[in-house]
Formats: sequence, structure tokens, C-alpha cells
Amino acid sequence: MSIYIKNTVIVLVALISCSALMAQSTNIKGVIFDIKNNTLPGANIYIEGTYYGTSSDANGKFSFTTNETGKQVLKVDYIGFEPYRKEVELTGKQINIEPHLKESFNQLKAITIIAGSFEASETKKAVALKPLDIVTTAGALGDISGAMQTLPGTSTIGESGRLFVRGGHSGEAQTYIDGTLVHEPYTTSAPNTAVRGRFNPFMFSGTVFSTGGYSAEYGQALSSVLLLRTNGLQQEDQLDISIMSIGTGVAGTKLWESGAVTASFDYMNLTPYMQLIPQNINWNKYPQSYNGAISVRQKTGKRGLLKTYITYDKSSFSMDQENPDYLPEITNINIDNQYVYFNTSWRGTLNDKWSLKTGVSTTGNLDNNELGFGDYRGQLHGANAKIVLANQISEKINIRFGTEYFYKYSSVKYNYEPYSVHYQLNYTSNMIVGFAEADIYASNKFVARVGGRYEYSDYLKKYNFAPRISAAYKIDDKSQFSFAYGIFFQDPANEYLIYTGKLDFERANHFILNYQTIKENRTFRAEVYYKDYNNLVKYQLTDHLVPTDHNNSGSAYAYGLDIFWRDRKTIRNGDYWISYSYIDSKRNFRDYPCEAIPGFVSKHNFSLVYKHWIGELRSQPGFTFKYSTPRCYNNPNKADFNSESMTPYRTLNVNWSFLYRQNVIIYASISNVTGFKQEYGYNYASFANDEGFYESVPVIPDAKRFYFIGCFITLTKMGEANQLNKLE
Amino acid sequence: MKKVVVVLLTTVSIVLTSMAVGPEFQKVMGETLAGYSECKTIEDYQGLANKFERIANVEKGEWLPLYYHAHCYIIMSFMEQSSVVKKDEYLDVAEISVNKMMEMVPYESEAFTLQAFMLTARLVVDPMTRGQEYSILSGQAVGTALGLNPDNPRAKYLNISNEMGAAQFFGNDVSKYYTQAKELLKNWDNFKSASPIHPNWGKDQVKEIVDSCK
Repeated sequence: MSIYIKNTVIVLVALISCSALMAQSTNIKGVIFDIKNNTLPGANIYIEGTYYGTSSDANGKFSFTTNETGKQVLKVDYIGFEPYRKEVELTGKQINIEPHLKESFNQLKAITIIAGSFEASETKKAVALKPLDIVTTAGALGDISGAMQTLPGTSTIGESGRLFVRGGHSGEAQTYIDGTLVHEPYTTSAPNTAVRGRFNPFMFSGTVFSTGGYSAEYGQALSSVLLLRTNGLQQEDQLDISIMSIGTGVAGTKLWESGAVTASFDYMNLTPYMQLIPQNINWNKYPQSYNGAISVRQKTGKRGLLKTYITYDKSSFSMDQENPDYLPEITNINIDNQYVYFNTSWRGTLNDKWSLKTGVSTTGNLDNNELGFGDYRGQLHGANAKIVLANQISEKINIRFGTEYFYKYSSVKYNYEPYSVHYQLNYTSNMIVGFAEADIYASNKFVARVGGRYEYSDYLKKYNFAPRISAAYKIDDKSQFSFAYGIFFQDPANEYLIYTGKLDFERANHFILNYQTIKENRTFRAEVYYKDYNNLVKYQLTDHLVPTDHNNSGSAYAYGLDIFWRDRKTIRNGDYWISYSYIDSKRNFRDYPCEAIPGFVSKHNFSLVYKHWIGELRSQPGFTFKYSTPRCYNNPNKADFNSESMTPYRTLNVNWSFLYRQNVIIYASISNVTGFKQEYGYNYASFANDEGFYESVPVIPDAKRFYFIGCFITLTKMGEANQLNKLE
Repeated sequence: MKKVVVVLLTTVSIVLTSMAVGPEFQKVMGETLAGYSECKTIEDYQGLANKFERIANVEKGEWLPLYYHAHCYIIMSFMEQSSVVKKDEYLDVAEISVNKMMEMVPYESEAFTLQAFMLTARLVVDPMTRGQEYSILSGQAVGTALGLNPDNPRAKYLNISNEMGAAQFFGNDVSKYYTQAKELLKNWDNFKSASPIHPNWGKDQVKEIVDSCK
């Protein structure tokens, strides 16, 4: 019995001591570093599978005690870093660790290549512009291309209004909506008056304006692409009403469970405005336009979205014009334009690795113009279809490839009865394209994009291959360098192709180096670039001014510096940006007799945009000031080509947005408020008069100032939404 | 002998119990929640969030640790004053936990309330740009929360606070929101949380609105 008890006691003691051993605690301490030996405060240190753990203090130090024993896994988690794991044996002996955590790789937070491009987006944080900026910039009057003209790299060509980028003609800049091409993206305007973009900026939630070096996905543009992404699914039913000094509009949106439809109708009529404000032009019929649009959004599956949009425009006007060839007679011109644009696109993910983007767009444009010296009927049909597949091969490599098809039909009819001049020309072109591109990340700090694009045109019977390479390197959290190189091809313009298909693609090479630093609400970027063009179309004019001998012997160059500074911090409630561009460019194209500075280049361009929010007044006033050095124009009475200088371009535009109620906004603006003299050179007669002198008329805007006032009302079920994203 | 065996068994059972160390979920949650009262700085909340994260890592089926983890990060975003980028980064972390939580309890009023709170925090980062979009999103989440539980006082509080924020931004009269806040405060204690570890915050914030009235 005693042995029995003894044994029992031994077992008991053994059990108790064993339990004491188990209850023995181990202290774990240490310091958490990153690989650069900086200490990391707030890291989570714990034993895997238990609640035991602690956080590192302000000096990265930590210490905690655990009752766990035996083999365990010690883990350290810290946001943005790869987790640290260590197997430890808990025996009661103190454990000391000093891990150096490695930054984790995250494509969403990794560097992006920004050489050449300005992005306006809400989804990304480090962007130079926000979508709202496009509509709240004074003078832009809600015109996307107008707002882009306050960015460096662009020239303001007052008599045109189109985008002219880095020494390139406006025809070298293309617009893409949801990935597919838009032909004729501008409204029709009277000769020598600025056009506007056809598309309402409120349709878009993302804009990328590239002044060069863009992705292989985009082609058929020698100098620039404007990429517009339409809004996603709307969030609620609403009715928008606009009443403006120049017209009125209404738009309604109706939602269902997985989709929405929006229908809009706008009517513009400048009659009352132009009768009130004296115009330089003698209008016989003031400009009028109608626009109707329908868009449908439908979610497909869990992560797909189908978007369809169709719009129809009709605009017309009639005016008297002084044509230098017919002076002192006045020429009456009647302009009538009809436009249909259709776009449908689907984007979604196929599985974890693959995503697909596909779209089709068609454009139909019909001009019926009576020009006084003949009737002109121009027709354009364009279509673009595209499929892009993207695959994330590995954590650090993405590839993207796809194919594209372009169709274009253009016809021109011209009749001038008094001289029995009749001609009719047309052509059809089909183009097939393949492209591929890879993004390769070396780390969060370095990314390279390598790609290429192949195009074949059946009308030119020519093909081209365009390599594109770009890269970006992050110096620190705020600053980066990026670089882009590429070859860009474009079909010669319609006006040449309609005469002949025996031409080659026009070509440009871009070299771009960019530095950008974003610190809180301040952005600075500087970009230098060099472009050279070859294969530009040249021709001769016959005695009857008919172009002939089209060939690809033209060439050009452009180099310059673009500076952008934006500051939303220094002035409380204030926000401004400054753009400056320097450019040196010459070209020899069209019927130029020699290489010369083209008429659409200003050596120095400056703009300042300012916006200020005044809470007490519920108002945001703003202004835009622009200055460009004189451009050249050709005076045939002078021996030297393109040797005359225009006056410098200056303008000061002011605007005021006022929130009357949450859902009622009143917006007013005045363009060129100080009445700077704006004159864009002279138009000369094609033929010299009897004294051997070429007559001329000045190119001037139809009015010194433009006044606008509008009231925008939004009605919703909730009653609290407004058109804040319309006009702040 | 019998006695010995009983003693032995008792000892063994005591040993075994003490081997199954580790406070249970409810207790740990209770203790961790008590930590809220000591949080004053972003660093304090970071430490508390880490504790909830450790609990969430172990208790993979529980949504409350994720709830509080996200809640701490949302508060950190509101407290952060030096950097808008950081404000968003804290919310990026909160959003991951909110999304995980929403998958676990897709019909929980408190979950939608926290989602609304997070969306309002996103709006506050850049009201000029995000105002329209996020006020609608946050409003919809609050609406869903109130639909699931019309008595949820936190959803009511967010509803008042969101609408009041918008009214202040537009310079509209805010007096009716003070009345609503007073009413809410008066009835606050009538609402009983599902358990001591279920969300219980918000009374102080409503008090703040009521006090700011004077």
C-alpha cells in the first residue's frame, strides 16, 4: 500500500511539475525594421493561431509574454510589407528577434508610367486632374478639348478650337470613347470660329489625355490621343433639366436591378443671344442644333458591364462671309451637318487571370454646305471594332493583346453651276491591326512596358510595324522619372486619300522624358520631348488650285519643354494650376515651298487656371488666363513663306458657380472679359488681282466676348442629389 | 484507495483544464473592447486594431473582430490630419475587413452601418470631388441598414450626421437635425445590443451633435 501511495505521490508530483512547466511563460521581444533599417511602429507581432501578441511601439520595439510552449510560429504583419514568419521553440527562455520586413508588391500601388499622359480620374489617387476640373475650368464652357487646352503641350488656336499637340496638326490627335475611335469628334462651326467637342463631359468619369508615347493599343494618331471612359452604372433614378442662355436640355435616367437607361434631348438656338450681343458676322440664320442620345448600361454576370450609346446631332446656320477671292462681293454660306455615333462595349473578367474588353463604334457624318462658290456634300462613314485580352501571367507581369478593324468610306461631291464644275470623289479603306504589350514590374519602384502594333491597309496596300517602349522609375514615395519611345503611324488625311491611294502611312517618332513629384496637394511635372516626322504628304497645286502629285516627301520636327504646376494647398479653399510650354518646330508638308514654322505653333504658351470655393456664398468663382506668343501666317504678297506674325493670343475668362439649392445650380461665365484684341492673321485670295496684289480679309472671332448663363436642376426621389458633378 | 483515485483524477482534470489555456472568445473580446476607452492617438487605435486582427486570425468564422478592426481603421482615417494619402490608405485596410465581414453576414444591419461609416470617411478625404458619388453610396448603405433594422441607433446617427454634413456644405438650415439628434439621444438606451460584444458605440457622437447646437 505504501508503495502504492508513494507511486501515486510520484505521479502527482510529476503531473504538477509538468503542469508548472507548461504554465511556464516565455518572453518574446525585439525590434521590427524594414530592409533600409528604419524601425516600423504599429506592426502586429503574434503567435500564429493564438490571441497572444502585441504591437511594436513608436521605436519599432515590442515585448510580450506567452504561456504557450513547444514549437510555435511567430508572425509579424505590417501593412504594405510581406508577412514575417519564424518557427520558435517556447521553453521559457527569452526570445529576441529583429526581423527586417520586405515591402510587398502590389500592382495597384506600384508605379505607373505617366510619360506623355495626363489622367483625370477618381479611382486613382495620384492624378494631375480630377474629372470635375474639365467642367469647372473657366473658358472651357464644359468642352473637353477646351479644358485640355489649359494643359502644357497644347496650343490654343482660337480660329479652330481643336486640339493641336506639340507641333502636330489637329488631324494628328484622335479621340477614343471606351476604347474605340470617334470620327469627327467636333461640332461644325462657321469658318474661322472655334469648334467644340461633340460629347458632353458629364458622360465621362475618366479621361486620359496623352501628348505622346501612348500604348500600342492606340494607333492612327501621330501626335495625341484623348481617351474617354464613359460612366458606369448610375446610382439612382433622376431627371436633369438645363435652361441656358443658348438653349435647353433634359435628361432622364431610369434604373432597374442590374442596369439603367438614360435618354437626353438638347436644343440649342443662338438667335436670342446673338440678337442681344452684337456679332462681327452677319448671320442670315443663327446657329441651331438638336441632339438626342440614349445610353443603356447592363451588368452581365458578376463582373461584366455592357454599355451602349447612340447619339444623333443636327446643326445648321447661314451667314455672309467676305471671301478674299470675290471681294467686294459678299458670299453667302449655308451649313448643314448631321451626325450619328454609336458605341457599344463590354468589359469583364473571364476568370481570375483573364479579362476581356471589346467594343464596336460607328460614325456617320453628312455635310450639306452651300458655299457661295459651289455646293459641297461630304459624307463619311467610319467603323472600328476591337477585342483586347489581358492576362496576369504572374504577380509582376501583365500582358495585353488584341486585334482591331477600321473601316472608312468617304465621299465628296462638289458642284458649281455657273462654271459647270462638277466633281465627285470617294474611297473606301479597310485596315486590320494586331497589337501586343507587356507590363513588367521589377519591383514597386520600376516598371517597363514593351509592345508593338502591326497595321495593314487595303487601300494603301501598305503595312507598318510600330514598336512602343516606356518605363518608369520611382525615386521615392513622391517622385518618379518616366520615359517613353515609340513609332506612330497614321493614314494620310481624307482630303488626300480621296484623290489617291498611292501614298504611304505618315510617321512620327516620339522620345519623351518626364519627371513628376506629387506631395500632398501639390503636383509638379516637367517633360522634355523630341519628335520627328517623315512621310508627310506633300502636293502641288495646279493653276486651278487642284492638288496633284501627292507624295510622301514631307517631314517635320518638334522639340520642347512642358511644365505643369498644380497647388491645392497654399491658398485655403483655392486651387490653381500653371502650364507653360516651350516648343521649337518646323515642317515641310502640304504645298509648303520650303521648311517653315507651321501656322499652328506658338513658341511659348502659358496658362493659369484658378478656382476658389467660398462656403458662405455657396459659390465657386474662377478664372483662366492664357497667353501665347504670335503664330506665323503666310502673306503671298511677301517673298518669304509664312513670314508674317499674328498678334499674341491673350484671354481672360471668368466664371461663377452658385448653389442656389442643393439641387439647383446657377452658372455664369464671360470669355475674354477684358476684351483683348484677338486676331488670327489674314486670309488671302488664291489669285492675285489685276495689280498683282493678293487681297485679304482679317481672321477675327465673331464677337469679342462670349457670355453664358445657365441653370441646372436635378430631380431625384431622394431630393438631395444635385448636379455638383455638373457645375460645382 | 478510492480517495487517492479521486484526488488523482481531480488533479488530472485540473491539469488538463489549465492546459487548455487561452481565454475564450467572448472574454477576450470583452477585454479588448475595454481598450477603446484608453485609445487617444492613432497609434493607440493601431494597437487596438492589431488586437482585433489577431482575434480575427484565430476566429475565422466570427464577424465581430473584423467589424472592430475596420472600425478602428476608419477612426484612424478621421484622426489623420497630416496626409490625405494616409487617410485613404487606412480606409483601404478598413475596406478589406468590411468586405470580408459583409460576405459573412450579408443581412446584418450593423455591417451596413459600418460600411456607410467607411464610405462617409472616403467622402471626407476629398469632399469636392467625391461628394456626389460617396454621399449617394453612403446614403444607400445607411438605407439598407435601416431597412434591416429600423431601430439601429448607429444607422440613425449616421443618417443624421450624413445629411447634416451635406446641409452644412450647402449652407442650408441644420436645426431639424439637432431635433432629430436630441430625440435619438433620449431613446438611445432603449436599444439593447445583441450581446455585450456587439456594437454599442455612437452615443458620444450623438451627444457631440446635440452639444454643438448651443
